[in-house]
Amino acid sequence: MAETAAPELLPGTIQEAEEKPRSNLEPGYMVICWNDPVNYMDYVTHVFQVVFGWARRKAEFHMRQVHEQGKSVLARESMEKAEHYVHQLQKYSLHATMERDE
Amino acid sequence: MNLIRSTKDQFQFRLGGREKRLLLDLLKLYPCLPVARQPLSKSGGLPDQETAQGLLDEALAEQRQENRRQLQALLADPGRFQEQETGWRLSLSPADLEWLLQILNDIRVGSWVRLGSPEERLAQLDEKTAPHYWAMEMSGRFQMQFLEAMQGPN
Repeated sequence: MAETAAPELLPGTIQEAEEKPRSNLEPGYMVICWNDPVNYMDYVTHVFQVVFGWARRKAEFHMRQVHEQGKSVLARESMEKAEHYVHQLQKYSLHATMERDE
Repeated sequence: MNLIRSTKDQFQFRLGGREKRLLLDLLKLYPCLPVARQPLSKSGGLPDQETAQGLLDEALAEQRQENRRQLQALLADPGRFQEQETGWRLSLSPADLEWLLQILNDIRVGSWVRLGSPEERLAQLDEKTAPHYWAMEMSGRFQMQFLEAMQGPN
């Protein structure tokens, strides 16, 4: 595979790292579900299936991650979509938040 | 409570008289979860987080109002529970069932919060904690039975 050529700079030019403001439409937010000792594992799996439309196997994988590792990143989304998912998950009384993906 | 019949559009359960009373008493506890219990973000690094949190709390409060209205309608609907020779038949659509799961989980998690959000099973119950523990356990039991019905035979 060919390497990408580095852009040429004029003498005396200082290249600054371009910092773009993160748009609300960029997938810059993580939707996270946190472990708690009260929600049943089957219930959590069911909610993941309903909210994200996942197959049971994928929903179970994330449920296990929540249970065993304390949390699972369920999605990386734009701010609006992440808010939507957090709302849906909290509607089912799951412990869910959104965090910046940095 | 047993699932006696399920189709694409309807689930039918058979309940004994005591089970029916138990379910209705439980549902009357809704809502149990405190309003604005959860933050939108833990790290707090969201732009205009206060507004976003306010909108989330508002949406959840509206949802709760709607759930309460729907629950009252369900409890007042004479067609929901039909008396049979051996008890009662409860008929629910898949959407009803999905929604009842949310209601029951609100009661379960809300009761747990009222118990002080314990990490472990309570070693001892007293007059103050027993009703919340009862509500938490019973709502969980109905939840699991509804979930099993929705998932069908594996």
